[in-house]
Amino acid sequence: MTADLETRKNALRHFFEPIVDKLGYKFTPDEEMVEFLLEQEVKLEDRWGIPYCPCQALLRIRQEDMKIVCPCIPFHRKHFDALKRCWCGLYVHKDVTDPNSLKQIPLSELEGDKQ
Amino acid sequence: MPRVSMYTLSTCPWCRKTKQFFRDRQIPFDFVDYDLADTDEQDRIVADMRKHTSDISFPYVVIGDRVIQGYDPDKYEQILKEAGGK
Repeated sequence: MTADLETRKNALRHFFEPIVDKLGYKFTPDEEMVEFLLEQEVKLEDRWGIPYCPCQALLRIRQEDMKIVCPCIPFHRKHFDALKRCWCGLYVHKDVTDPNSLKQIPLSELEGDKQ
Repeated sequence: MPRVSMYTLSTCPWCRKTKQFFRDRQIPFDFVDYDLADTDEQDRIVADMRKHTSDISFPYVVIGDRVIQGYDPDKYEQILKEAGGK
């Protein structure tokens, strides 16, 4: 199981890397975070068949849930471009060297929603 | 000390950091991991969150009557200070 987990984590990493590269993102330089989040995705994939984002809610509404399939950047582009990272921080803009300097700011706050 | 409660995900590192923030300060809190809840509980959580925001994202922290979405230790500190709880 451990070997399977490592194999699948590596597979996801290699699958995602060229996709996020074209979107202007890279994996966060925080390797511990990458390992943790990919592990969560493998577990989510084992359970649901799809590597959903570990930091967003499955609503059991297919149209909504497909927006949080990793890498979910295209569906949340405006929000993530403002944060310079995706919500869970697995991916950061290519110019980011210090991911710890980035905050999790909800979309509602950026847009002056109900908060 | 204001009441602290939160909705979190068991798979989210920022939710873990949020819990740790309050544990480190010995501030009691209650929480529900959305992904581990049953479907009725999930529906209730989403409905509760939608009262305050259109953006269903975690961690979702309520300190007193203030809602903070995302891991934001500076904001937690500020609100706790304003509430005279720290």
